[in-house]
Amino acid sequence: MGEILVVDDSKVMREMIIACLRAQPGLSFTQAASGLEAIEKLSLKTFQLVVLDLNMPDIGGIEVLEFVRGQDKLRSLPIIVVTTRGDDASRATALAAGASRFMTKPFTPEKILSEVRELLEQPAGAPR
Amino acid sequence: MSDVVDLAEFRTAFVVEAEELLTTANTSLLDIEKALRAGNKNIRAVRELFRAVHTIKGLSSMVGIEPVVGIAHRLETTLRAADRAGGSLALESIDTLLEGVRAIAKRVRALADGQPVAEAPSELLDRLERLESATPSTARQSGAGALILDAEIAGKLGAQDQAQLLEGLAQGRRALRVDFIPSPLRAEAGSTITSVRARVAKIGDIVKVVPISVPVTADAPGGLKFGLLVVTSESAQALADAVGVDPGMVYSLAAPPAAGILGAVLEAEPEEPSVSRHGVVRVDVERLDDVMERLSTLVVTRFRLSRALAELAAAGADVRALAQIMNENGRQLRDLRAAILRVRMVPVSEVFERVPLLVRGLSRATGKQVRLVIDAGTAEVDKGVAERLFPAVVHLVRNAVDHAFESPDERTRAGKPAEGALTIACFERTNSQLELTISDDGRGIDRKLVADRAHRPLPDSDAALLELLCLPGLSTRDEATMTSGRGMGMDIVKRTVEQLGGELTLQTRVGVGTRFVMHVPVSISIVDAFTFECAAQRFVVPVTMVEEVVDIDPARLVRGPTRRGGEAPRLLERRNETVPVVQLESLFRLGDRGGEARKALVVRRNGEPMAFSVDRMLGQQEVVVRPLEDPLVRVIGISGATDLGDGRPTLVLDLAALSGALSAATLEPAA
Repeated sequence: MGEILVVDDSKVMREMIIACLRAQPGLSFTQAASGLEAIEKLSLKTFQLVVLDLNMPDIGGIEVLEFVRGQDKLRSLPIIVVTTRGDDASRATALAAGASRFMTKPFTPEKILSEVRELLEQPAGAPR
Repeated sequence: MSDVVDLAEFRTAFVVEAEELLTTANTSLLDIEKALRAGNKNIRAVRELFRAVHTIKGLSSMVGIEPVVGIAHRLETTLRAADRAGGSLALESIDTLLEGVRAIAKRVRALADGQPVAEAPSELLDRLERLESATPSTARQSGAGALILDAEIAGKLGAQDQAQLLEGLAQGRRALRVDFIPSPLRAEAGSTITSVRARVAKIGDIVKVVPISVPVTADAPGGLKFGLLVVTSESAQALADAVGVDPGMVYSLAAPPAAGILGAVLEAEPEEPSVSRHGVVRVDVERLDDVMERLSTLVVTRFRLSRALAELAAAGADVRALAQIMNENGRQLRDLRAAILRVRMVPVSEVFERVPLLVRGLSRATGKQVRLVIDAGTAEVDKGVAERLFPAVVHLVRNAVDHAFESPDERTRAGKPAEGALTIACFERTNSQLELTISDDGRGIDRKLVADRAHRPLPDSDAALLELLCLPGLSTRDEATMTSGRGMGMDIVKRTVEQLGGELTLQTRVGVGTRFVMHVPVSISIVDAFTFECAAQRFVVPVTMVEEVVDIDPARLVRGPTRRGGEAPRLLERRNETVPVVQLESLFRLGDRGGEARKALVVRRNGEPMAFSVDRMLGQQEVVVRPLEDPLVRVIGISGATDLGDGRPTLVLDLAALSGALSAATLEPAA
């Protein structure tokens, strides 16, 4: 049903996120270990959803968001920001930069699953 | 829902990653301390430390290790402030930070050992909380001057980034920008932003990577390029090489001088490369060899044990319990061996670190322009193999620049770029073998020239040409004339590769270029081997070298055409192929075996099969190979000796080299 790009500089975190989402049938996963790798992969391939960490080397999640939302073809791509920084300022920054959803670590498998399901069920191009 | 995962299952993986992050944290803290003592700041180390701690906090919260979350959170708060203040930290806070990292490490270890994880000591948490970062200071505006930045880049740089660039300039390093355009084609060739970043990180500090939208073209199918801003002591050329682009894609970010920046940058002598290795312990190879030696004696003792066990069993004793322990012991030995081999591994990219400097020197000496591309990916190789192999790589690189590349004028006339392209690539073919390729787009090797010079018939294949090139006598003449393109020390290159149990092959086309391919084992010393008997003597041959062990029916062997001065070889029919059968005992003059051989080992070299007849296969086991390094006892076909547990040395045969020598007919009769 969809290709998900999981972006986090921690391998364990990526694996955990994928393990959580495996409960949803029909998804396949691509991993990116940095914001740079994420942007590269997004520019060369089509994804249905992105799970994005904020704090990463070189360029963080916010910059990835800003770049992605500046691209016509990626403007309505659902992006879930997942971060350890749960403060209001971070949330506001991420949403302003174009995050579709904002989740803080730790999160439960159920929580991320339901977010992903909701976003994937929205018709393409619908307002986020 | 029943299929929802339990994240606690990730605790083991958490421990592994947390330990890496803790190593990074400790190294960073020590780097920061060193910089502070010298009155400097290490902005990069502060940021790495911050990120390591931040990641540990996130991970430990996911797997539910609250005491670690608490400590990491306090550390993170201090470090975030320090990062925002451009890397400012008070020297006095280092001890407390180290203590915090230690406290996390202790709890991670407890988790790994299955022990309860202690609460975070509140006294430590209080002290961490009281830590205040040193007075925030803005970037040092020194005489190094300002930066030239495009608007699109400047808008994406934080104050810390600019500070780091200026700091680099103030320390006499270079602040450079290089652009990389990702594409599926480049990704296929192993060049992605991740690999490029890793290569650049080896020669400098990456301050920032900025994604930049560009119009979609054939060269930029993703409509994207990355601008990498780097502080480095290396040259612009080295940076261009690391990224795999034209030096024209490298810009200096330092404002003055107004003109000829790149030229000046290229001319300046490079300083010692600054390579940062985090969490790495440097160990003398001799010590590793010593560990390996001790392991070897263990392996030999095990052979003796299993012999004794077999004798006991033969005498009718009940050895079941003992045999079980032996099995266990065997497994432990294999694990230990694997662990030691891992310790001995070094990244191949590290082995090649000295090549750019070598090429630069050669290029200057010869006046030839060379574009060097090194792509070793993540391949690793045993330190011992690396040390033996490196001189061979140097030979081939030297030959390429000295002989293979035409002068820039000649190249232009031939319709080639003035710059010669030299590529060194390495990847893991299997988990035990590396493929190392050195290719150039030079003049190629002229078979006729080489044949004339060697006074031999014209070689009919690249393989035959390589045999000619590797004749020891050829080198000196060739070196003097420099016309055939190759020859200097090729015999040494080939011997090196073969002593490692590897194979060297060649592909060349006149006017187009030459490619040398080496297949070498990732590690040496202990190999899986067949033991067999021939004329009452025992021998060993590495399993990887043998294509097949076949039964021989003497009645079905056919005689081939008679060779000059020799007995007609006998041929074995095998799956639509005729395979010459060589009698090892007569080759090594071992005397008669009394009866016909019933088994043969088939090896293949350059696609040509050859069978070596033996009396009896004895089995398969791991053996410790000690190379015969004394040049006086070097014999083609013998790569070393081993001890099978009886205290007597047993020869390890290199049947591949032997078959090569036999088919090239360069082997003296019964050498």
